[in-house]
Amino acid sequence: MTILRAAALGAVLAFSAAAPALAQTRAETLRHVTGAAINTLDPTMPGSTREAFGLSLLTYDRLVSMGRKQLNGKWVFDLDAIKPELAERYEVSPDGLKITFYLRKDAKFHDGTPVTTDDVKWSLDRAVTANSLAKAQLLTGSLTSADQFKVIDAHTLEVTLPKPDKLALPNLATVYPIIFNSKAAKAKATAEDPWAQAWLKENTAGSGAYTIESFKPGETTIVRRNEAWNRGSAEKPAWFKRIITQTVPEAATRANLVERGDADIVIDLQANDAAELEKKGKLKVISTPQYNAITFISFNNTIAPFDKVEVRRAIAMALPYDDMFKAALFGRGAPLFGATWADGKAPTGETFPIPQPLKVNLDDAKKLLASAGFPDGFSTTFSFNVGQAGTAEPMAALLKESLAKIGIKVDIQKLPDAQMSTLINEKKLPFFTEGIVAWLPSMDYFYRNFYIGTIRWNYSSLNDPQITEWAQAARFEQDKAKYAAYGKDLNTRHFELMPQVPLWQPSQDAVMATTLDGYVYQFHRQIDFRDLSRK
Amino acid sequence: MNAIVGTAKRALRRFASSLPALFGVVVFTFLLMRVLPGDPAVFFASGPNAGEEEIAMIRKEMGLDKPIAEQLVRYLGDIGSGNLGRSLTTGQPVLADLKSRLPASLELTFTALFIALLTAVPLGVTAALRPNSVVDNIVRFICSLGVCVPTFVSGLLLIYAFYYLLGWAPDPTGRVDIFSSTPPQITGFLLIDFAVAGDWEGWRAAARQLVLPALTMALFVVAPLARITRASMLAALGSDFVRTARSLGLSKLKIVVIYALRNALLPVLTIAGIVFSTMLGANVLVEKVFSWPGVASYALDALLSSDYAPVQGFVLLMASIFVIVNLTVDVLYGIADPRVSIE
Repeated sequence: MTILRAAALGAVLAFSAAAPALAQTRAETLRHVTGAAINTLDPTMPGSTREAFGLSLLTYDRLVSMGRKQLNGKWVFDLDAIKPELAERYEVSPDGLKITFYLRKDAKFHDGTPVTTDDVKWSLDRAVTANSLAKAQLLTGSLTSADQFKVIDAHTLEVTLPKPDKLALPNLATVYPIIFNSKAAKAKATAEDPWAQAWLKENTAGSGAYTIESFKPGETTIVRRNEAWNRGSAEKPAWFKRIITQTVPEAATRANLVERGDADIVIDLQANDAAELEKKGKLKVISTPQYNAITFISFNNTIAPFDKVEVRRAIAMALPYDDMFKAALFGRGAPLFGATWADGKAPTGETFPIPQPLKVNLDDAKKLLASAGFPDGFSTTFSFNVGQAGTAEPMAALLKESLAKIGIKVDIQKLPDAQMSTLINEKKLPFFTEGIVAWLPSMDYFYRNFYIGTIRWNYSSLNDPQITEWAQAARFEQDKAKYAAYGKDLNTRHFELMPQVPLWQPSQDAVMATTLDGYVYQFHRQIDFRDLSRK
Repeated sequence: MNAIVGTAKRALRRFASSLPALFGVVVFTFLLMRVLPGDPAVFFASGPNAGEEEIAMIRKEMGLDKPIAEQLVRYLGDIGSGNLGRSLTTGQPVLADLKSRLPASLELTFTALFIALLTAVPLGVTAALRPNSVVDNIVRFICSLGVCVPTFVSGLLLIYAFYYLLGWAPDPTGRVDIFSSTPPQITGFLLIDFAVAGDWEGWRAAARQLVLPALTMALFVVAPLARITRASMLAALGSDFVRTARSLGLSKLKIVVIYALRNALLPVLTIAGIVFSTMLGANVLVEKVFSWPGVASYALDALLSSDYAPVQGFVLLMASIFVIVNLTVDVLYGIADPRVSIE
């Protein structure tokens, strides 16, 4: 009896001694599950996934980072509040042509070497010179040549711009202009690969909040806290000691894992799973409309019959918006239809997208079709990619049914992702749905990148001299009132031309343990784990 | 001694004769991938602002800017030197990816086949002993159920029941608990590596992780194995030597196990070989559902994004495994029934 009791007591003691230690490590470890994979440690590599972007935010620092603001009670990134990260502070000259960065003097790379302006210069030179994704992005902020970056002293760097560009500074806060340990990288560079791109795909040489503990592409990536990093809030290191990002392809399994508490956070659940979990109320669900994204239905404005504005407007009047929104997203997001524009003019010009004054009106739609020369309608195909089938399939079915009522016969075409990209690039699809995202969601950025030129992202192949002229002018407009006036004209013209029909901004549903705190919706639609902590 | 030399010679000759087939498979897959619609360069240059320049860059990196004939010659040369190209989906060399993922698939498939054989052979024998009885019909029912429920449905059901509702199974992601450490890599088979390292707690964890996906796979292939066991058992039980054995008054157990079953197992062996090869490629859905880092789900991801190199590498791997499995079955046959080796 005594022996038994002693044994039991011993067991209890052993257990209680072990339990807190175990609980503590689990509390300081964050487990994140995602459907996609991290495929590189260098986010500038062509083909990088969004998850790779998310990771690079942890392992590397940039000169500056985006601040945050509240939008309808949710924390989102703020393009207009750029805050220092590796820079201690920055100054923009009055004419807007010079940005001077003063580096933190205490910043060190993971290997202990101090961060100097030579590293910054090498990294920015790499971003605008090497064949990578960075080049095309930085171009949108007038950063194109290595001559623009000048080292003043070990902690001061000057960036010169050909014209005052609002997006120069925000561009430096995106995932591409990361600051590398130039000595470490140069040691691995070769004659054919002067920017060490091959080596940096599988190694990091940064100064970020976390270091890589293990990296198995397509399976798991584990990062460990960099204790010396003090760029967090209140000059502290990041909260979590370890972060595990695991690829779990099955959406239902991701939902199960987070519901049972085995995973801490997930952002890519199916809309119905997120709705279900929110209803159960056991978890924290933060649903933020992706205010820098648009899901739209696009017409190819150069292919008949979609080259006629009446046809495009007729279709826009015949889409069952409410039903599509409910069927595709369970209403989770911000609708871009059903607005009222008093005088037919856009109510605002500072932002894009804005809700459009679109309501279903089949009679008017029929009249418009007749005036375009299609009184009996026509046949066409509507395409979407397999990757988006979950939301696009019910939407396409409703669209087909509704357009049949005005005589338009629609064939639904479901394409593998690679094939869809190819056809879009070749401008061969007449009528399809897609989504776009702008990291730097300023009004002119949307117009310049998605509505002008022959580039692939001009989905509707729009070629309107007015839109082109206004968008280019707005880019360099320093006067806020004039900028808004350009925007008002652009938004109005966009609605009149109807090159594509903006539908909605889907929600990003972040489903997490109730103990997690600090989640901010980020420009790259991933989680910035440096913001998170556990209560 | 002579027999061994004969068998080895035969195996070698068989292997040599399958080389043209392997070559054909490589060339065929290569051409097929290029005929399929979808340009991988466009797909991978999908970052914001990636334009024509980026597309051209990726095309060059993948060697797609060269004429197809030249690409094929280069590819064959690369295979000769053991280079299967680089995957854009994972950013890793295909050979390294396959090497790290093949053991996961093999471990799952072997376990599933083992469970399936352990279930199917007794089921088949029981059914054959009493043809058209209640027992036979129950076996038939179980087999139909296993075949007609797709693996992703049974997988999700098992997860729902044993992980979500009951909480008996560990979380259905990957090969070991994410918070525990993996054993030093020796064979890549976790059960073996853990055993070699003497880490029995880890071994149990890996085994627990393996149960649900292996069961899901096994359920699917029990039917063909049980049916073939039943059929060949029936044939064996009706044959002359069993009649003779019966008339000699041997015990029933001896007749069934030693005389009938031993002879009936040959066709089961053949089918098991085929089933094994198919399972290896077909368990893609199981791998997806259980986040199992195997080769099949790897190839599917690559296929969806028109990532040529991994798909070609995967097909070559599967073809080689098929050749090896066939060879093994042939050799085992020759040993089991020496008449087969006579040419």
